[in-house]
Amino acid sequence: MLKYLLKRFFWMMPLLVGISLVSFFIMHLAPGDITTSEASFNPKASEESRQKLRELYNLDKPVVVQYGLWLKRMATLDFGTSFASHQRPVFWQTKDKDGNVTLGMIQEALPITLLINVLSLLLIIGVALPLGVVSALNQNQLPDRGITLFVFIGFAIPGFWLALMLMYWTGVQHAWLPISGLQSLGHENMHWFAQILDTLKHLALPVFISGITGLAGISLFVRNGMLEVLHQDYITTARSKGLNENRVIYGHALRNALLPLITIFGLSIPGLIGGSVIAESIFAIPGMGKLFYDAVLMRDFPVIMGILTIGAILTLIGNLLADVAYAWADPRVRRGVVQ
Amino acid sequence: MLNKTYRCKLIKFICFTSISILLSACGDSSSTQANYQLDYSKDYPATTGGTLIDAMVGEPSGLIAMIAGESAASAIAGNIFNSLLKYDKNLDLTGELAESWEISKDKKTITFHLKPNLKWADDKPLTSDDVLFTWQKVTDEKTRTPYGSDFKLVIKAEAPDINTFRITYAAPYAPALDTWAGLHILPRHLLKDQDINTTAFARHPVGSHYYKLDSWKNGQYLKLTRNPNATQGQAKIDALLSRIIPDKAAQFLELSADNIDSMGLNPIQYARIFPARPDLNKNIALYKELGNNYTYLGFNLKRKPFDDIRVRQAINYAIDKQEIIDGVLLGLGEPVASPYKPGTRWSNPNLKSYPYDPNKAKALLKEAGYEDHDGDGILDKDGKPLAFEILTNQNKEREMTGVLIQRRLKEIGIDVNIRVLEWASFLGRFIKPKEFDVVVLGWSLSLDPDQYSIWHSSQQAPGQFNFISYSNPRVDKLLEEGRLELDPEKRMKIYHEFSKILLEDSPIVYLSAGYGLSAIHKRVKGISNPAPPAGIGYNTYEWYIPKAYARTEMSDH
Amino acid sequence: MKKLLSNPLVLIGFVIIASILLIALAAPLIAPYDPEAIDVKAILLSPSSAHLMGTDGLGRDVFSRMLYGARISLMVGFVAVGIATAIGIVLGAIAGFYRGWVDTVIMRLVDVMLSIPTFFLILAVIAFLTPSIWNIMIVIGLTSWMGVTRLVRAEFLSLRNREFVLAAQTLGAKDARLIFTHLLPNSLTPIIVSSILGIASAVLVESGLSFLGLGVQAPQASWGNILTDGKEYIQFAWWLSLFPGLAILITVLGYNLLGDGLRDAFNPRSSQH
Repeated sequence: MLKYLLKRFFWMMPLLVGISLVSFFIMHLAPGDITTSEASFNPKASEESRQKLRELYNLDKPVVVQYGLWLKRMATLDFGTSFASHQRPVFWQTKDKDGNVTLGMIQEALPITLLINVLSLLLIIGVALPLGVVSALNQNQLPDRGITLFVFIGFAIPGFWLALMLMYWTGVQHAWLPISGLQSLGHENMHWFAQILDTLKHLALPVFISGITGLAGISLFVRNGMLEVLHQDYITTARSKGLNENRVIYGHALRNALLPLITIFGLSIPGLIGGSVIAESIFAIPGMGKLFYDAVLMRDFPVIMGILTIGAILTLIGNLLADVAYAWADPRVRRGVVQ
Repeated sequence: MLNKTYRCKLIKFICFTSISILLSACGDSSSTQANYQLDYSKDYPATTGGTLIDAMVGEPSGLIAMIAGESAASAIAGNIFNSLLKYDKNLDLTGELAESWEISKDKKTITFHLKPNLKWADDKPLTSDDVLFTWQKVTDEKTRTPYGSDFKLVIKAEAPDINTFRITYAAPYAPALDTWAGLHILPRHLLKDQDINTTAFARHPVGSHYYKLDSWKNGQYLKLTRNPNATQGQAKIDALLSRIIPDKAAQFLELSADNIDSMGLNPIQYARIFPARPDLNKNIALYKELGNNYTYLGFNLKRKPFDDIRVRQAINYAIDKQEIIDGVLLGLGEPVASPYKPGTRWSNPNLKSYPYDPNKAKALLKEAGYEDHDGDGILDKDGKPLAFEILTNQNKEREMTGVLIQRRLKEIGIDVNIRVLEWASFLGRFIKPKEFDVVVLGWSLSLDPDQYSIWHSSQQAPGQFNFISYSNPRVDKLLEEGRLELDPEKRMKIYHEFSKILLEDSPIVYLSAGYGLSAIHKRVKGISNPAPPAGIGYNTYEWYIPKAYARTEMSDH
Repeated sequence: MKKLLSNPLVLIGFVIIASILLIALAAPLIAPYDPEAIDVKAILLSPSSAHLMGTDGLGRDVFSRMLYGARISLMVGFVAVGIATAIGIVLGAIAGFYRGWVDTVIMRLVDVMLSIPTFFLILAVIAFLTPSIWNIMIVIGLTSWMGVTRLVRAEFLSLRNREFVLAAQTLGAKDARLIFTHLLPNSLTPIIVSSILGIASAVLVESGLSFLGLGVQAPQASWGNILTDGKEYIQFAWWLSLFPGLAILITVLGYNLLGDGLRDAFNPRSSQH
């Protein structure tokens, strides 16, 4: 297992280098250099930030040197400070000489987005599994048809549209859920239980919106996986041995149908993180997605590059975790029988 | 919070957010809300307490206005920091931190006398040292502020005693008092060892005005509470809360669900949707006031054919301004003929905007050599058709204005394209490098008539405000004179003359001045309606929320 | 083909896509108004016989805008996927045909691209360029070729050692000829399926970008920006958000049904379900 882990870990290195190349390439997409487009009408501030950018990305040095320095920045996770919000470091907190701590922008936004994504994954597992199983067991019957319809609509519905509709319906028409934001005013004064409840209420719609596509996808995946497994010989064998049908389905079929899910979850991470842009902007949730969107509107390049890189690293970590989980769940991988 | 627009007089930026295009229309006051319906029409005596909640689209980058620069920052900082002077209800200058001031005979020296016993929110005394320190900072080369140039004209600044601050200009500088009315005085004792560009103070400010920062939750809200040491007396409302809600549709949903108290409206909401929604009108009052801004069509004077005055005038005649006011602003606007707010002393009452006269426009174009030689319906000269592109930023009213102009110009044979761009690329890719034919934009102006930075020929560098490259020696001279003249009557004549030349020269076509439209919940009392010249926001400290109308603690929506 | 259309889902998908294509092509004939003609006297009218889908905040006819918007939305889908498919075929073919280190490099590049959240990548590129319909299509294309690449490579790897390919090779066929006459035609089905599914997601991405104000720029109509205009009036002018939302939903649904149905039909293993 350890050997597998190490191998898997080192395999991430070339990917990181690749990510640094891609982001470096994007950074040099802008005509001229990236300092020419800045969203401020302040000649002095733009001259200043142009200078800062040159320092940050060493734009006056040869390309190879620039790349080397960019690589170093990535390795040390040092993305400088934001243009738009001059005081704030992009990634992690800094302390000035008086001991004032300024929190990093990603540092603050990341936990929120992670929370939304974890809740989305839980929602997906909690809803998609039963849907998929029910669908597979009732193949081509009414429940299956209904679920399939839901799945296709879930794939096709524009999330931001659904978000607006739900916001109006649950927030204004019925006042069931808060409309936007992460916490109610007066959140600090609540009992811890009320605080959790309050946050969950605020996150209900954003989590649903960011999970809906995944929900549809995983339902379909579970359904098809189950159907495939149910047709295999060992299930037939198990049945013919007279095993209880429930044991056949839940003990054997489901377990095997679920294994590939782990990988799917790993692969769905970039989609979830990227999808947070729209949900967070609409619902005024101060996570990575909204941070990124704001940065794009302000052409706040240090933040853009920082989030891009951190997002990619998170994906790699997610994939690593998924692979490890898979290896743990499937002994054949662990022992190196199958790659 | 509204009054902050008027507090940041330094700001002469292109108003990009412009009249906020906020959300429309309210929901059917659903059954749940109907149960809570209060009668907000009753009068209650002024009282303290309550929280006023508003929403903003973006988060301030910091609360030192001279560094942050954006309107969100100025709006909040204006409740925390004082200036030496302020504009009163009738837009006359009056003392804020200063009790009085005098101007020397040679008009080069101004002496401010501070009110006695001023205190910062942290109980430290506020003295002329702080004022001197602020001046040093705003003029410091290392300070990253666009507002330094006005203050660099001061050749000597001194604080002879703790209540006196004296400045001397090399030459009389007419906008001087206005500039001092816009400079937030910062505490020396907290900032003297700090790098003002990056100091943590920007996020933990200590000021002297009505409110102090209570908490700032990144991406969520900023909460201000009353400052017990406030230099201008105590405000009535306990706390001001500004929620950060980037999506305007969400903002309007929050307003209709009674989770925020005030927001700006667009003409459709004001003139169409509110009248159709009696349920909304029960809770929300509407206000309109003429702001200090206008929308215009500006030519890139470095490009042909806009270097030809006849072409510019022809286009001016061909545009029907009243149609734009009626159609785009739904009548909620005024025509303009000078770069000053209509009705103020600086606005030349004898000037009338170019009437809509397509025949005159055609005649002028013919004079300039443009005729439809090839019979394709488009005027041409030397085989080249008269065609150009109107650029504007994402703003519904500007887009609509552009389309109306496009239609009128087509009628006289000019082929016009419209391109709407998102703000950052608009500015970075087109305005700064001057890569445009014609723009539709707006100016938000300060109260002082000095418009040197917009029209003087020396202000054409990339990123400076004279991006249309206007250059007229007579205008240059008048602008220079206007800065030196302190006598209001003579000054008025200078700027009336300046406006007259500008109108004739037609480097821009004045389109309209729209009313600022806002919605404020009826629980808020003490608002002057109709708005005085300074706008409804001039007395936010007198606004109050009667106990009977205050929100119940919103632990749970 | 007959077998295909006997699958009701494929049939529905096919009918949806065909009708939308038809509508988009015939937009100038059907549209009762100029989609960009504003009418200040007809702002936010609800649907009526004069304006089937009402008017928007500038008094433009929503029905006409929807028709023209269909063109934009479909064009974005086709061009973006066209770019992605072209890149995918070239890279996938090279990787699958030559294998070895070329294959490794290309596949690592695929992994890298897949590990950067796609929507972030698209937004970042847009931030450095200027949003416009062409840039949008190019950017979506450049960020969505990875799936096709993997697919083509896998097809090539499995076809590479099949007898007819080996036979052609021993007969002295050139690489290019092998690729274009033998390998590619035999991989076409999965490529088509994945392209159709790709169009569906490109349409969604475009509408999302327009919604954020970084997509197709006004006054051009796309379903995404009609919806964006409408979101501010959602409580009052429901028609502004309902119609474009439904149009996007139905179009994407159509592509998905078609794509999925085709895949099932061509894939003997899954067709048994």
